[in-house]
Amino acid sequence: MKWRKEDLEKYVQAKEYIDTILLPIIPFQLADDAESEKHAFQQEVMGIFGSEIEQELSGRVMLIPSYYYLKEGNKEVEVQRLNDWIAEAKDQPFQHIILLTFDATWKKYEKELDGNLLWLPGLHGADIRTKETQGIIRDQVKQLTEIIRSYWQ
Amino acid sequence: MSEEKKQQVSRRQFLNYTLMGVGGFMAAGLLISPVRMAIDPVLKSGEGGGLANVGIAVDEITNEPTRIDWSVDQVDGWYESQVSRSAWVFKDENDEIVAFSPVCKHLGCVVSWEGSEKYPNEFFCPCHDGRYYKNGVNVPGTPPLTPLDEYEMEIKDGMLFLGDPKPHREA
Ligand code: FES
Repeated sequence: MKWRKEDLEKYVQAKEYIDTILLPIIPFQLADDAESEKHAFQQEVMGIFGSEIEQELSGRVMLIPSYYYLKEGNKEVEVQRLNDWIAEAKDQPFQHIILLTFDATWKKYEKELDGNLLWLPGLHGADIRTKETQGIIRDQVKQLTEIIRSYWQ
Repeated sequence: MSEEKKQQVSRRQFLNYTLMGVGGFMAAGLLISPVRMAIDPVLKSGEGGGLANVGIAVDEITNEPTRIDWSVDQVDGWYESQVSRSAWVFKDENDEIVAFSPVCKHLGCVVSWEGSEKYPNEFFCPCHDGRYYKNGVNVPGTPPLTPLDEYEMEIKDGMLFLGDPKPHREA
Protein backbone atom coordinates (compact mmCIF):
# COMPACT_ATOMS: atom_id res chain seq x y z
CA MET A 1 0.00 0.00 0.00
CA LYS A 2 1.06 3.53 -0.63
CA TRP A 3 0.28 6.67 1.31
CA ARG A 4 -2.66 7.69 -0.85
CA LYS A 5 -6.40 7.90 -0.35
CA GLU A 6 -7.33 4.84 -2.34
CA ASP A 7 -4.91 2.58 -0.50
CA LEU A 8 -5.74 3.96 2.91
CA GLU A 9 -9.36 3.06 2.41
CA LYS A 10 -8.21 -0.52 1.83
CA TYR A 11 -5.82 -0.37 4.76
CA VAL A 12 -8.50 0.66 7.22
CA GLN A 13 -10.57 -2.36 6.17
CA ALA A 14 -7.71 -4.81 6.42
CA LYS A 15 -5.46 -3.50 9.20
CA GLU A 16 -4.78 -6.91 10.64
CA TYR A 17 -3.06 -8.00 7.42
CA ILE A 18 -0.80 -5.00 6.95
CA ASP A 19 1.88 -5.11 9.59
CA THR A 20 5.00 -3.74 7.92
CA ILE A 21 6.12 -0.17 7.31
CA LEU A 22 8.63 0.74 4.64
CA LEU A 23 10.26 4.10 5.32
CA PRO A 24 12.86 5.44 2.85
CA ILE A 25 15.29 7.83 4.52
CA ILE A 26 16.90 10.26 2.12
CA PRO A 27 19.73 12.78 2.57
CA PHE A 28 19.44 16.30 1.19
CA GLN A 29 21.96 19.11 0.82
CA LEU A 30 22.73 21.97 -1.58
CA ALA A 31 26.20 23.08 -0.53
CA ASP A 32 28.25 20.78 -2.72
CA ASP A 33 27.28 20.67 -6.40
CA ALA A 34 28.80 17.32 -7.24
CA GLU A 35 27.31 15.78 -4.15
CA SER A 36 23.84 17.17 -4.72
CA GLU A 37 23.78 15.55 -8.14
CA LYS A 38 24.59 12.29 -6.45
CA HIS A 39 21.93 12.80 -3.81
CA ALA A 40 19.27 13.75 -6.31
CA PHE A 41 20.03 10.60 -8.25
CA GLN A 42 19.86 8.48 -5.12
CA GLN A 43 16.53 10.05 -4.36
CA GLU A 44 15.23 9.00 -7.78
CA VAL A 45 16.54 5.48 -7.42
CA MET A 46 15.14 5.22 -3.91
CA GLY A 47 11.76 6.17 -5.33
CA ILE A 48 11.99 3.23 -7.72
CA PHE A 49 13.10 0.81 -5.01
CA GLY A 50 10.33 1.93 -2.72
CA SER A 51 7.61 1.51 -5.27
CA GLU A 52 8.94 -1.78 -6.68
CA ILE A 53 9.15 -3.37 -3.25
CA GLU A 54 5.74 -2.01 -2.43
CA GLN A 55 4.37 -3.54 -5.61
CA GLU A 56 5.72 -6.99 -4.75
CA LEU A 57 4.43 -6.97 -1.19
CA SER A 58 1.62 -4.45 -1.30
CA GLY A 59 -0.84 -6.59 0.64
CA ARG A 60 1.28 -6.52 3.75
CA VAL A 61 3.57 -3.51 3.41
CA MET A 62 2.75 0.18 3.68
CA LEU A 63 5.18 2.56 1.98
CA ILE A 64 4.96 5.81 3.94
CA PRO A 65 6.27 9.28 2.99
CA SER A 66 10.06 9.45 2.87
CA TYR A 67 12.04 10.99 5.69
CA TYR A 68 14.47 13.68 4.54
CA TYR A 69 17.39 14.97 6.56
CA LEU A 70 20.33 17.27 6.03
CA LYS A 71 23.34 15.24 5.01
CA GLU A 72 25.69 16.97 7.43
CA GLY A 73 23.08 17.47 10.14
CA ASN A 74 23.25 16.12 13.63
CA LYS A 75 22.50 12.40 13.44
CA GLU A 76 21.66 12.13 17.14
CA VAL A 77 18.77 14.52 16.61
CA GLU A 78 17.66 12.62 13.52
CA VAL A 79 17.73 9.32 15.37
CA GLN A 80 15.38 10.80 17.92
CA ARG A 81 12.98 12.11 15.33
CA LEU A 82 13.08 8.83 13.43
CA ASN A 83 12.29 6.97 16.60
CA ASP A 84 9.27 9.22 17.02
CA TRP A 85 8.08 8.22 13.56
CA ILE A 86 8.69 4.59 14.40
CA ALA A 87 6.82 4.87 17.68
CA GLU A 88 3.87 6.39 15.83
CA ALA A 89 3.81 3.39 13.50
CA LYS A 90 4.31 0.82 16.23
CA ASP A 91 1.29 2.21 18.05
CA GLN A 92 -0.99 1.18 15.19
CA PRO A 93 0.28 -1.56 15.64
CA PHE A 94 2.76 -2.17 12.86
CA GLN A 95 5.09 -5.01 13.83
CA HIS A 96 7.94 -4.42 11.41
CA ILE A 97 9.46 -1.07 10.60
CA ILE A 98 11.97 -1.12 7.79
CA LEU A 99 14.18 1.86 7.06
CA LEU A 100 15.66 1.92 3.57
CA THR A 101 18.79 3.91 2.94
CA PHE A 102 21.81 4.37 0.65
CA ASP A 103 23.62 6.36 3.30
CA ALA A 104 26.18 4.18 5.09
CA THR A 105 26.64 6.62 7.98
CA TRP A 106 23.42 5.24 9.46
CA LYS A 107 25.20 1.96 10.09
CA LYS A 108 26.81 3.54 13.14
CA TYR A 109 23.42 4.36 14.61
CA GLU A 110 21.74 1.10 13.75
CA LYS A 111 21.53 -0.01 17.37
CA GLU A 112 19.87 3.19 18.52
CA LEU A 113 17.12 2.95 15.90
CA ASP A 114 13.95 1.15 16.88
CA GLY A 115 13.44 -0.25 13.38
CA ASN A 116 15.33 -2.51 10.99
CA LEU A 117 17.85 -0.65 8.88
CA LEU A 118 18.30 -1.94 5.34
CA TRP A 119 21.32 -0.39 3.74
CA LEU A 120 21.66 -0.65 -0.04
CA PRO A 121 24.82 -0.01 -2.01
CA GLY A 122 24.21 2.97 -4.30
CA LEU A 123 24.12 2.73 -8.09
CA HIS A 124 26.81 5.20 -9.05
CA GLY A 125 26.87 6.74 -12.48
CA ALA A 126 24.20 4.39 -13.76
CA ASP A 127 21.40 5.42 -16.09
CA ILE A 128 18.02 4.31 -14.82
CA ARG A 129 16.61 4.15 -18.32
CA THR A 130 18.91 1.42 -19.55
CA LYS A 131 17.79 -2.20 -19.62
CA GLU A 132 20.95 -3.14 -17.76
CA THR A 133 20.26 -0.91 -14.77
CA GLN A 134 16.64 -1.98 -14.71
CA GLY A 135 17.86 -5.56 -14.51
CA ILE A 136 20.17 -4.72 -11.62
CA ILE A 137 17.35 -2.96 -9.80
CA ARG A 138 15.03 -5.92 -10.34
CA ASP A 139 17.63 -8.28 -8.89
CA GLN A 140 18.17 -6.09 -5.87
CA VAL A 141 14.44 -5.72 -5.33
CA LYS A 142 14.16 -9.49 -5.37
CA GLN A 143 16.83 -9.79 -2.71
CA LEU A 144 15.26 -7.06 -0.60
CA THR A 145 11.86 -8.70 -0.67
CA GLU A 146 13.56 -11.93 0.44
CA ILE A 147 15.08 -10.08 3.40
CA ILE A 148 11.74 -8.55 4.32
CA ARG A 149 10.09 -11.95 4.12
CA SER A 150 12.73 -13.30 6.46
CA TYR A 151 11.63 -10.73 9.07
CA TRP A 152 8.15 -12.20 8.85
CA GLN A 153 9.24 -15.74 9.64
CA MET B 1 -25.28 61.48 6.65
CA SER B 2 -28.03 59.04 6.01
CA GLU B 3 -27.00 59.20 2.42
CA GLU B 4 -23.48 58.05 3.41
CA LYS B 5 -24.83 55.28 5.62
CA LYS B 6 -26.89 53.93 2.81
CA GLN B 7 -23.82 53.91 0.64
CA GLN B 8 -21.82 52.06 3.29
CA VAL B 9 -24.44 49.39 3.58
CA SER B 10 -24.62 48.96 -0.09
CA ARG B 11 -20.84 48.69 -0.24
CA ARG B 12 -20.91 46.00 2.35
CA GLN B 13 -23.71 44.28 0.55
CA PHE B 14 -21.75 44.56 -2.62
CA LEU B 15 -18.79 42.89 -0.93
CA ASN B 16 -21.03 40.21 0.48
CA TYR B 17 -22.45 39.47 -2.89
CA THR B 18 -19.05 39.27 -4.49
CA LEU B 19 -17.71 36.98 -1.80
CA MET B 20 -20.71 34.76 -2.11
CA GLY B 21 -20.11 34.85 -5.78
CA VAL B 22 -16.58 33.53 -5.31
CA GLY B 23 -17.90 30.80 -3.03
CA GLY B 24 -20.46 29.98 -5.61
CA PHE B 25 -17.80 29.62 -8.26
CA MET B 26 -15.81 27.31 -6.05
CA ALA B 27 -18.83 25.14 -5.35
CA ALA B 28 -19.56 25.03 -9.05
CA GLY B 29 -15.96 23.95 -9.60
CA LEU B 30 -16.39 21.08 -7.19
CA LEU B 31 -19.57 20.04 -8.90
CA ILE B 32 -18.11 20.27 -12.33
CA SER B 33 -14.91 18.36 -11.77
CA PRO B 34 -16.42 14.85 -11.50
CA VAL B 35 -18.28 15.51 -14.73
CA ARG B 36 -15.09 16.71 -16.28
CA MET B 37 -13.29 13.59 -15.13
CA ALA B 38 -15.93 11.53 -16.82
CA ILE B 39 -15.75 13.23 -20.17
CA ASP B 40 -12.22 14.53 -20.46
CA PRO B 41 -10.18 11.73 -21.99
CA VAL B 42 -6.89 13.11 -20.68
CA LEU B 43 -8.06 12.79 -17.10
CA LYS B 44 -9.39 9.30 -17.51
CA SER B 45 -7.11 6.49 -16.55
CA GLY B 46 -5.51 4.97 -19.58
CA GLU B 47 -6.68 1.62 -20.82
CA GLY B 48 -3.24 0.95 -22.24
CA GLY B 49 -5.04 0.33 -25.50
CA GLY B 50 -3.28 -2.27 -27.60
CA LEU B 51 -1.42 -5.34 -26.59
CA ALA B 52 2.30 -5.23 -25.91
CA ASN B 53 5.01 -7.52 -27.18
CA VAL B 54 6.39 -8.99 -23.98
CA GLY B 55 9.54 -10.34 -25.58
CA ILE B 56 8.98 -14.08 -25.51
CA ALA B 57 8.54 -16.36 -28.50
CA VAL B 58 5.79 -18.94 -28.41
CA ASP B 59 8.24 -21.84 -28.81
CA GLU B 60 10.10 -20.70 -25.71
CA ILE B 61 7.02 -21.24 -23.58
CA THR B 62 7.01 -24.55 -21.69
CA ASN B 63 4.78 -26.28 -19.17
CA GLU B 64 6.73 -24.63 -16.39
CA PRO B 65 5.29 -21.22 -15.43
CA THR B 66 7.87 -18.50 -16.10
CA ARG B 67 7.74 -14.94 -14.93
CA ILE B 68 7.77 -12.32 -17.67
CA ASP B 69 8.27 -8.62 -16.93
CA TRP B 70 7.56 -5.78 -19.31
CA SER B 71 6.43 -2.18 -19.13
CA VAL B 72 3.69 -0.13 -20.70
CA ASP B 73 3.03 3.60 -20.95
CA GLN B 74 0.02 4.56 -18.98
CA VAL B 75 -1.82 7.82 -18.51
CA ASP B 76 -3.41 7.73 -15.11
CA GLY B 77 -5.02 10.95 -13.98
CA TRP B 78 -2.27 13.55 -14.00
CA TYR B 79 0.59 11.22 -14.46
CA GLU B 80 1.91 9.71 -17.60
CA SER B 81 4.24 6.99 -16.61
CA GLN B 82 5.83 3.71 -17.41
CA VAL B 83 4.28 1.00 -15.32
CA SER B 84 5.86 -2.36 -14.95
CA ARG B 85 3.75 -5.42 -15.45
CA SER B 86 4.41 -9.10 -14.91
CA ALA B 87 2.81 -12.36 -15.83
CA TRP B 88 3.25 -16.08 -15.18
CA VAL B 89 3.25 -17.67 -18.60
CA PHE B 90 3.10 -21.39 -19.49
CA LYS B 91 1.34 -24.00 -21.61
CA ASP B 92 -1.45 -25.87 -19.86
CA GLU B 93 -2.26 -29.58 -20.26
CA ASN B 94 -4.11 -28.84 -23.52
CA ASP B 95 -1.01 -27.08 -24.84
CA GLU B 96 -2.81 -23.77 -24.66
CA ILE B 97 -0.84 -20.73 -23.56
CA VAL B 98 -1.99 -19.09 -20.34
CA ALA B 99 -0.75 -15.84 -18.83
CA PHE B 100 -1.80 -15.19 -15.25
CA SER B 101 -1.50 -11.88 -13.51
CA PRO B 102 0.73 -12.38 -10.47
CA VAL B 103 -1.33 -10.01 -8.35
CA CYS B 104 -2.81 -11.88 -5.41
CA LYS B 105 -6.58 -11.54 -5.21
CA HIS B 106 -6.42 -11.12 -1.45
CA LEU B 107 -4.62 -7.80 -0.97
CA GLY B 108 -2.41 -7.57 -4.01
CA CYS B 109 1.03 -8.98 -3.28
CA VAL B 110 2.91 -10.68 -6.11
CA VAL B 111 2.59 -14.46 -6.14
CA SER B 112 5.33 -16.85 -7.29
CA TRP B 113 5.18 -20.24 -8.90
CA GLU B 114 6.36 -22.72 -6.27
CA GLY B 115 7.10 -19.76 -4.00
CA SER B 116 7.04 -22.04 -0.99
CA GLU B 117 8.83 -25.37 -0.66
CA LYS B 118 5.89 -26.64 1.34
CA TYR B 119 3.50 -26.31 -1.59
CA PRO B 120 4.99 -27.67 -4.80
CA ASN B 121 3.05 -27.26 -8.03
CA GLU B 122 1.15 -24.21 -6.77
CA PHE B 123 1.35 -20.43 -6.91
CA PHE B 124 2.21 -19.03 -3.51
CA CYS B 125 1.66 -15.57 -2.04
CA PRO B 126 4.37 -14.61 0.46
CA CYS B 127 2.23 -12.10 2.33
CA HIS B 128 -0.40 -14.24 4.05
CA ASP B 129 0.29 -17.69 2.58
CA GLY B 130 -2.35 -17.42 -0.13
CA ARG B 131 -2.24 -20.36 -2.59
CA TYR B 132 -3.50 -21.10 -6.09
CA TYR B 133 -3.48 -24.30 -8.14
CA LYS B 134 -1.64 -24.36 -11.44
CA ASN B 135 -4.89 -23.51 -13.24
CA GLY B 136 -5.03 -20.24 -11.29
CA VAL B 137 -7.90 -21.25 -9.02
CA ASN B 138 -7.49 -20.25 -5.38
CA VAL B 139 -6.96 -23.03 -2.86
CA PRO B 140 -9.93 -23.02 -0.48
CA GLY B 141 -9.09 -22.11 3.08
CA THR B 142 -6.33 -19.68 2.11
CA PRO B 143 -6.97 -15.89 2.16
CA PRO B 144 -7.71 -15.22 -1.55
CA LEU B 145 -11.34 -15.76 -2.52
CA THR B 146 -11.10 -15.62 -6.31
CA PRO B 147 -8.78 -17.09 -8.97
CA LEU B 148 -5.88 -15.16 -10.46
CA ASP B 149 -6.67 -12.77 -13.32
CA GLU B 150 -5.72 -13.75 -16.85
CA TYR B 151 -4.16 -11.46 -19.43
CA GLU B 152 -5.77 -10.83 -22.77
CA MET B 153 -3.41 -12.28 -25.32
CA GLU B 154 -2.61 -12.54 -28.96
CA ILE B 155 0.09 -14.30 -30.92
CA LYS B 156 1.66 -12.40 -33.77
CA ASP B 157 4.60 -13.70 -35.83
CA GLY B 158 5.33 -16.29 -33.19
CA MET B 159 5.61 -13.71 -30.42
CA LEU B 160 3.41 -13.35 -27.37
CA PHE B 161 1.45 -10.10 -26.94
CA LEU B 162 -0.35 -9.33 -23.70
CA GLY B 163 -2.97 -6.70 -22.88
CA ASP B 164 -4.90 -6.01 -19.70
CA PRO B 165 -5.66 -8.51 -16.95
CA LYS B 166 -9.23 -9.82 -17.03
CA PRO B 167 -11.07 -12.06 -14.56
CA HIS B 168 -10.17 -15.74 -14.78
CA ARG B 169 -12.27 -17.77 -17.22
CA GLU B 170 -13.75 -19.72 -14.33
CA ALA B 171 -14.58 -16.67 -12.25
S1 FES C 1 -2.08 -10.65 -0.28
FE1 FES C 1 -1.85 -12.68 -0.99
S2 FES C 1 -2.52 -13.80 0.71
FE2 FES C 1 -2.81 -11.79 1.37
